[in-house]
Amino acid sequence: MNRLRCCFILGFFLLAAVLAGAEKMPSLIAIRGARIIPVASADIPSGVILIKDGLIEAVGPEVTIPEGATVIEASGLCAYPGLIDCYSTLGLAEIGQMPQTVDFRELGRINPQLRAWEALRPDSMHIPIARASGITAALVAPSGGLISGQSGLLRLTGWTPREMLIKAPVAMHVDLPSFGRSMGFRPAAAAEPSQHFKELEEAFRQARAYEKQKEFAEKSNQRALPDFNEAAAFLQPVLRGEIPLWMSVHADKDIKEAIQFVQREKVKAILYGVSQGWKCVEEIKKSGLPVVFGSLTNMPAGWEDGYDALYRTPALLAQAGVKIAFSSQSSSAAKDLPFHAAKAAAFGLDKREALRAVTLSAAEILGVADRMGSLEKGKAANIVLTNGDILEFKTQVKKVFIDGRETDLETIYEQLLEKYRKRAPR
Amino acid sequence: MKIRKILFLLAWLGLILAPALARGGDLLIKNGKILTVTRGVLDKGDVLIRNGIIQAVGTDLQAPPGVRTYDAWGKYVIPGIIDSHTHVALSGTNESADTDTAEVDMADVLNAEDLAIFTALSGGVTMVHTMHGSANPIGGQNVVLSLKWGRPSEEMIVPEAFRTLKFALGENPKRANLSDSEGLRYPQSRMGVNAIIRREMLRARTYMEQWARYLAQKQMKNPPKDLLPPRKDLRLDALADLLRGKLVARVHSYRADETLEFLGLAKEFGFKVACFEHIPEAFKITQELKEAGVGTSVFIDSWAYKIEAAEGIALSAAYCTRQGILVSLNSDGNERIRRLFNEAGKTLRYGRLTEEEALRLVTINPAIQLGVDKIVGSLEAGKHGDLAVFNEHPLSAYARCDLTVIEGEVYFDRAAYLQEREEAAKRAKAPKQTGGAR
Amino acid sequence: MKKTTLLLLCLVLWLGPEAAWPADVGPTYAVVNCKVVPVSGPVLDNGTIVIRDGLIKAVGPTDKVIIPEDAEIIDGQGLTAYPGLLDAHSQVFLEPAREEPASLGRGAPAQPQPAAPQGFTPERQAFKLLKPTKAERAGLHRLGFATVLVVPSKGIFAGQSVLLNLNGDKTEAMVVRQPVALHINFTTERGVYPSSLMGTMAALRQSFLDAQDYARHQTAWQASPRRFKRPEFSPFLEALVPYVVGKRPVIFTCANQEDIKRAIGLAEEFKLNVLLSGANEAWRVVEAVKKARLPLLISLSFKPPLTSLYANQGDELKKKAEDEIYPANPAALYKAGLSFALTSYGLTKADDVLKNAQAAIKAGLPREEALKALTIHPARFLGVEALLGSLEAGKIANIILTSGEIFEEKTQVKKIFVDGQMFTVEKPPPAAAGPAAVSLNGAWQGKITSPMGEVDISLELDQQGSQVTGTATVMGNKRDLSEGTLNGNALAFTIQTEIMGQAMSFAFQGTADKDAIQGSMATPMGSAEVRLTRVPKD
Repeated sequence: MNRLRCCFILGFFLLAAVLAGAEKMPSLIAIRGARIIPVASADIPSGVILIKDGLIEAVGPEVTIPEGATVIEASGLCAYPGLIDCYSTLGLAEIGQMPQTVDFRELGRINPQLRAWEALRPDSMHIPIARASGITAALVAPSGGLISGQSGLLRLTGWTPREMLIKAPVAMHVDLPSFGRSMGFRPAAAAEPSQHFKELEEAFRQARAYEKQKEFAEKSNQRALPDFNEAAAFLQPVLRGEIPLWMSVHADKDIKEAIQFVQREKVKAILYGVSQGWKCVEEIKKSGLPVVFGSLTNMPAGWEDGYDALYRTPALLAQAGVKIAFSSQSSSAAKDLPFHAAKAAAFGLDKREALRAVTLSAAEILGVADRMGSLEKGKAANIVLTNGDILEFKTQVKKVFIDGRETDLETIYEQLLEKYRKRAPR
Repeated sequence: MKIRKILFLLAWLGLILAPALARGGDLLIKNGKILTVTRGVLDKGDVLIRNGIIQAVGTDLQAPPGVRTYDAWGKYVIPGIIDSHTHVALSGTNESADTDTAEVDMADVLNAEDLAIFTALSGGVTMVHTMHGSANPIGGQNVVLSLKWGRPSEEMIVPEAFRTLKFALGENPKRANLSDSEGLRYPQSRMGVNAIIRREMLRARTYMEQWARYLAQKQMKNPPKDLLPPRKDLRLDALADLLRGKLVARVHSYRADETLEFLGLAKEFGFKVACFEHIPEAFKITQELKEAGVGTSVFIDSWAYKIEAAEGIALSAAYCTRQGILVSLNSDGNERIRRLFNEAGKTLRYGRLTEEEALRLVTINPAIQLGVDKIVGSLEAGKHGDLAVFNEHPLSAYARCDLTVIEGEVYFDRAAYLQEREEAAKRAKAPKQTGGAR
Repeated sequence: MKKTTLLLLCLVLWLGPEAAWPADVGPTYAVVNCKVVPVSGPVLDNGTIVIRDGLIKAVGPTDKVIIPEDAEIIDGQGLTAYPGLLDAHSQVFLEPAREEPASLGRGAPAQPQPAAPQGFTPERQAFKLLKPTKAERAGLHRLGFATVLVVPSKGIFAGQSVLLNLNGDKTEAMVVRQPVALHINFTTERGVYPSSLMGTMAALRQSFLDAQDYARHQTAWQASPRRFKRPEFSPFLEALVPYVVGKRPVIFTCANQEDIKRAIGLAEEFKLNVLLSGANEAWRVVEAVKKARLPLLISLSFKPPLTSLYANQGDELKKKAEDEIYPANPAALYKAGLSFALTSYGLTKADDVLKNAQAAIKAGLPREEALKALTIHPARFLGVEALLGSLEAGKIANIILTSGEIFEEKTQVKKIFVDGQMFTVEKPPPAAAGPAAVSLNGAWQGKITSPMGEVDISLELDQQGSQVTGTATVMGNKRDLSEGTLNGNALAFTIQTEIMGQAMSFAFQGTADKDAIQGSMATPMGSAEVRLTRVPKD
């Protein structure tokens, strides 16, 4: 009898301890006094953002703050939606030249079965650094091969891959030849459609044929069930229109062909890279396809493209009414996402448009605009507090909320510096 | 009669000296925000350049008729950016077939037609220290160039700069990323790298001694009849120059420990180290670097591409600056060179340097490291008319370089570039003429 | 009586048959009623040339020249006689020197800078590599060339050239002068020092210093052989000494304007007797060239060098450079007051030499100057002015008879005399019609060479008419070829592959014949040279 009571009391204390140690996550937070940039609507010079259970409950100049809410004084600061990186290798690459730490590249030409988020390393030192730049969500994608695999959208916080996953799959990635990093490389000029699109067509044709066979066999029982065909099976979501094709194309001839290809195949698509997009603005506009840019530190295809080819293409496309977004195309440089947008603004892109391209437009292209990308009621409370323009170098990011939780902004940068700052002078 | 003679002499002297004096162009920059770097900021100021030299930095400056005037209203004017470590304008980067190639000289392989020169100008860069690569423990002799696009290569060389010799430590010279089939060679370890450097220095010392003895014997009243000079060895000559102080070392290093070991080598042999290149771990040894009086030339946040760069924190450049080390930011290539002003801008975020501190990293600091701070690196009367004009503050992420000037001559003009492009597009659309030139 | 006999004897000997030594009596010719362009004198509208014993016996107006009785009369009506042309930088008759690629020994610590870097072979002589063929000779005759300077092509110290008269099949009989000059290229070794241009420059300087040092040691030792240790014999330095110390001619092949400056610098630094060859960019450094006063052997290849802006700013500019800008090089040099020779160096098709000379004339080079550049100027620069270069009595009988003005497109060379022997020029064989010039089916093996190094490549080709398909294996990766075409001898194909996860295309363009494929491939690191040979079926 005594023993039982002891256990009971012990258990009670343990439970209390556990409950006490558990994260005290306030479910009601009010950020007060900041200049609010909702992106979807006009700026609010001074206002309140109310967060409830991880979602934005209210945004406005005058919002009643309920009892019990944790108030965060933010006067003098700016509140932005969390930035969204439309293409990165965060969590998939730690030390670039060490293959042991790189997991976004496979061998083979046709790999629709590969899922980038399944190789994710949540402990990557690059994730907190990107988060500290105000990036709250990032697409992680595979490359290598013609059909490289599927990408997933992550929140930049979480202990496990599943905790980080927002949406997967987002898209099926196709990579056509790029220009590499040095100016002056010329791809082979061909008069007929190049081999890549023929290969893609063939892969799609086979996938459709396989599906037809399989369906018929399943329904009718008259024909034998075909053997499992990996490539065909994993291409079905694209053929059914469930996920878009993410076409990484650079030469203007490839861009035009890609547009015709997706129209012929009747699949959804997103154009990526688009280094020579300045040459085919009309075609891209007419296609209605959105464009995501790679890193603006890539080089133009050749001298004739002009030194500012990659810098001015975003403005040209945006002015033509194309929906655009930016990406870091990196893990160690993911934190530079806002600066690509600013660089495009230096070469003609409207500053508001530049901000939209790393927030709401990004969310729209990735199909998550209902949940993030702007400061609006009902969306996830992904909020960044800064002391200035989020796209500017000199701006300090003060707080980052993801799903209403304030995140830790300490990175390996600060940790290492602190360690060596303590070195006693000799 | 005498007066006539004197006048004649003066005229004759004038004729001889005139070509020497008439180098460089004339230019007046008006109404810009002048960031001199060393003499503060002029909110609305002018820079007058005559014969390639800054005659004055001030307000309400006038230029004689015929001098081109550039209206910099609403724009920012800074000294031309100096890249302390790059590989542009060269035909080749490494002589990788041997581990000590001190005899090679980048001045022998200049390529004045490298398109990267234009790329650099489009980013406001006016002067570069273009170098041997990091394939060998002891690389070669480097050269400082003024990026005078369109001029012959010999006109680009900056004679005032220090003579420098490239060294490399760590993964690159030990060929860590080559496989067996690609041809391994000694050294394969950091100890091998150091052993080679030490051995070559000792060989050079012996060589110097051999020559000293020969010269001493030659000077004697009755030199021996069979006296012949030792073999003149260009490789050891270069190292001898280093030991004599005529060359300074520029050392590619990554880890803090290999850097300290090299400082030990330099002390052992008594040669001067001007700068460590890249050195992502500089923040770990600021004391030692400061004591040795050695500068660093680094990236701001390019890191984690190799294991030896895995702790290359972005805060290092700012921290070292605050610790009193002379830090410059470099491009190490032809891509980053067009956005060195952005790199400097990042130190406002990572380390919170002031605007002036940040600008110094790409102007006066590299100038001091290269020994050319008397002629470039800041906007002061008497220095070369090297400057760059930006549409926004150069440290803003929204900045764009609109004009790049070297010694008073305009080498990059965005407005002219855009106009040319427009006209070319019009010509391309124009109907082709028959019977005309192709 | 004895005295008279002696006198008579002397008279007979003096007036008697001319000394003929050696005593081979070749045919005597008289070309009559011909237009004669001697180059060294005024044009004769109606002239006669007498050829005897391999020399020009007489040349002058027809009514003034005595024709010997034994002369075979060649009717020159309607023809023009010129001196046989001289190509001062040719690669004809050369078998490619087979070189084993040297490699740095594994585990070998760095050596002190080598005194004779592997692969430096200044002692190599073009003369020893000659494999004359009738077809090549006939081709040159057809273009009007009677004399060629054959220059070894590979390597930094390429070797020593030989001057040949194209008078037949026997190598020795062709030699006019051997050796002529030491030829140096601003190129690199592969895999060994010097593997970069900067290394080559340092190695050249070190080699010249070492040659001077060697000569000093040899001289001292020979003067007092008992006082010194015998200096180690070095074939490399032995070969260099006559050129570095003895001031025999050194010819630098200059691919671009920087090479020209490098050559001038080395000439001044080491007081060498230098000629510049190639130099199709000389027009961009005219002042420096003028100041240096070095003889120029200017290539008639108009391709802008790889380093040139004209080659790197788009295809349109590149074409304009080749069609309009670089052809004006000779004219620019002429206007600067320089005299020069014109050579075939760098031309892929021998026929282009006259075609390009015509282009140079169209771009402003006076015809007489172009003719001098192919006759008397190269003769003078190569030190054989006394023997060749113009139609003068006493010079070697190298003469061409053409159907018209030599630089007219329709003009044909009808007859050519070399060393006084007459050759009738044949029509060229019908050009390889259409796509089936060669069959490329089968396996090929070779190398891709770029500034970054060397990589093995093998091909399996299947050719149907002008379509070429097959596979390429590079660094163990096998890839299909795409867009493969064969037009005559022009081969092109593309290899699609991945590098570090990025899909990339590599486009090859070049020429193919029965046993060899060569050309260039566009890579992200620049243009790479590709050479393949057929793998024998066994």
